[in-house]
Amino acid sequence: MNLHRVGRLAGILVASQMRSGRSSSDPRSFFGRPHAIAVFDLAAFLGAFAVVGWGLRSVALGSANLATLANDLFPFLPLVAVAAVLIAGVMFELTNTAKFSGSDAANWLPITPSEYVAASSAAIAYSYTPAIAFLLGGLLPIALAGGVAATYVLCAGLTVVGLYEGGVLVEMVRATTQRASSFGSGRRGQLGILFRAALLVLLILAFDLAFNPVFLLGFLQHFSSYGDVTALVPFLWSTRGLSAWVSGDRLLGAAFCLGQVGFVGMLVYLAGLLRVRFWVPAAAEVQLSPAVSARGHPFLAMLGLSPAEAAIVSKDLRGFVRRREMLPTLVVPVVLIVLLIVEGTALGSFGSVLWMGWVAGFFALLLALTSVGQERRSFQSYYAYPITARAVLRAKATAVLLPALVGAAAMAIVVGVIFALSPFVIAAFVLLTATGAVLLTLWGLVFAARFSDFQDRPRPQYLRPGAMLGAMGSGMILLFGVLVPGAFALLGPRGTASAGLVVWTLGFALAAGALAAHWARTGFERLFREIPF
Amino acid sequence: MSATPLREGPVSPAPVLSRPLSLEANGVSKSYGVVRALVDVTFSVPAGEIVGLLGPNGAGKSTMMKSILGLVHPDSGEIRLFGRPVGADPVSAKRQVGYVPESPSLYEFLTGAEYLDFVADMYGLDRSTRRERIQQFLTGLELAGHENALISGYSQGMKQKVALIAALAHRPRLLILDEPLNGLDPRSARVTKDLLRNLASRDGVGVLFSTHVLEIAEAICDRVVILNRGQVVASGTVAALRDRAGLAGSGLEEVFLTLTGTGDLRDVVSALAH
Repeated sequence: MNLHRVGRLAGILVASQMRSGRSSSDPRSFFGRPHAIAVFDLAAFLGAFAVVGWGLRSVALGSANLATLANDLFPFLPLVAVAAVLIAGVMFELTNTAKFSGSDAANWLPITPSEYVAASSAAIAYSYTPAIAFLLGGLLPIALAGGVAATYVLCAGLTVVGLYEGGVLVEMVRATTQRASSFGSGRRGQLGILFRAALLVLLILAFDLAFNPVFLLGFLQHFSSYGDVTALVPFLWSTRGLSAWVSGDRLLGAAFCLGQVGFVGMLVYLAGLLRVRFWVPAAAEVQLSPAVSARGHPFLAMLGLSPAEAAIVSKDLRGFVRRREMLPTLVVPVVLIVLLIVEGTALGSFGSVLWMGWVAGFFALLLALTSVGQERRSFQSYYAYPITARAVLRAKATAVLLPALVGAAAMAIVVGVIFALSPFVIAAFVLLTATGAVLLTLWGLVFAARFSDFQDRPRPQYLRPGAMLGAMGSGMILLFGVLVPGAFALLGPRGTASAGLVVWTLGFALAAGALAAHWARTGFERLFREIPF
Repeated sequence: MSATPLREGPVSPAPVLSRPLSLEANGVSKSYGVVRALVDVTFSVPAGEIVGLLGPNGAGKSTMMKSILGLVHPDSGEIRLFGRPVGADPVSAKRQVGYVPESPSLYEFLTGAEYLDFVADMYGLDRSTRRERIQQFLTGLELAGHENALISGYSQGMKQKVALIAALAHRPRLLILDEPLNGLDPRSARVTKDLLRNLASRDGVGVLFSTHVLEIAEAICDRVVILNRGQVVASGTVAALRDRAGLAGSGLEEVFLTLTGTGDLRDVVSALAH
């Protein structure tokens, strides 16, 4: 492995990532250079160090207490680093197109698969260092005051190893999903497409859960009666090593820590093998029988859509299950549902109704917000087609609502089964989550019509970041304006389910929905006056 | 409009006189900030005629074509399609137009067949007609057998063929083609050129055709309009432009370079050769 080449490639990949944002697209800008991250790291480290240091001076805590606090925190920091990079990587790195992620170039440049994996993992890990620098900066004054500086240095080193480990795991997910996205490509028809989408979601979910500290430790507790099983899980060796180190067993601690470093080296080797085995430079081919593509859209026609509107809906739904960059959008609600099933009894029926309603609404909002920008430059085709802005709006709303409403109904049934709710309550809950999903679909389209980002970027953002934040914040307020009174009306204490709450829920949903529909319509009409790019 | 088989071989253009206009652009201007992309552009495309829109890079050709289709809103001037202002009933107007953009942005997650099916739905083509026509084009442009592969796996030429089929399948009365022969292999380029001639002379389709390959423009265009820095610097038949430029006996390339003020390139070539 040529380390100089790895370093150069990693630098290019980091720059490519940094320039994906609107504000940093100018290569001469400071924010477009990899050094900027080091400056952020330093600022985050020093900022956290100063704040915590000042706090320690004003609060009198004994050094023994501080040492205990630091020793309690140290073992988890490397694990947090792995989980943070893996989760963020699945959310953001997998959306990168090969064109921008530099992975295409690696197929024809004189770079070995291992070198590419090492460089790409380093680039991913480096992108997420500011958050860890902040944590380490805050922990340093505690460690110094507690007299455990040596342990701190060990912990910091292992945290950096953890960051890199997270990056390697993201590379493994990337290579494996690439394989999964072409697996079964010989299968004909829609079932093959759905099968592939489900496989991808399950794969990412498995990776996400396997390295989620809360889930992992909870899972291991089931085996605690068989003794300490953490030694058998290499991902936990840092934690185990640091625990042994702070409890005085330095030799065992050092052995586990070295074992962790060796394990990451092995992961790099494995990731290289996976890349060779599973990377598919050529695009996957999906075979569809001519009969499928020529049969029309009878179901969508039944919903009252014109052939042109139905064609847009059908195209959007196909894109939804075929495009790798849409996977994180699919994974988020699945992860949230799995968490609910695991933790559902702790939340109670009221909390679960709110949770599921929120997931359905959030899913609809996310889809609606990205529904226009995800077409990128292909969106200009609509301007040449004989179709009105309103027809495109109807089609976009339907394409979002179909999966959102199916998901909402499925979730309502899951909650109903878990808590043995009556069929009436389940039906009312379906209506409530559906209302939330419809409202947030319209709300998302209001923003999508005005603030979509059609640019080809290394990391597609589909909507301008400020608009995304605004839409999420205001959308959540609207959603809870419907869900909270609705959930009280359904499941509140006896006597709470007043007609007033039902009227409020419906009235609020109708008023907000009408306003959103109006703004979405005017937004689409304005959007179609002239191509926005 | 009658069915048009993909037939090779030149066809004589129909007489120009008394043809209705497919497209009229009158005094169209468009600015992007301080950049004047189009300045008082006026020209027309009669039915059954192929008009070449020529000009150096950045002359405003693509902006003009986008303005015709409503992708770009002109600051002033009027564009009429088939005698009616383009804004009066844009949906009906677009139903009669086929457009190939300079860089077709196709949905890469669809197969070629699915994409063409989608476009046919946009134009309201019934299913049996679309199947017959699309198959005819796929065969004629040698794409048959590739239509069920994802577009992301297509070469540039294959994508261009898909964009061409998408523009032609609904039998438009006006074709707006921005560099339509980009990336096509010689056979497909020949088929496309002859097809355009057929459509113009037999079916009365008006064609606005942009290209940088002046030999192609000279071979198939009835008239050319030359844009430079957003302004029409010349328009008419190639022969008329040749006379106007005082270059009788020269090719369109010489005429173009003279009219766009880029004629004497000897110093440039000499500097580059060193």
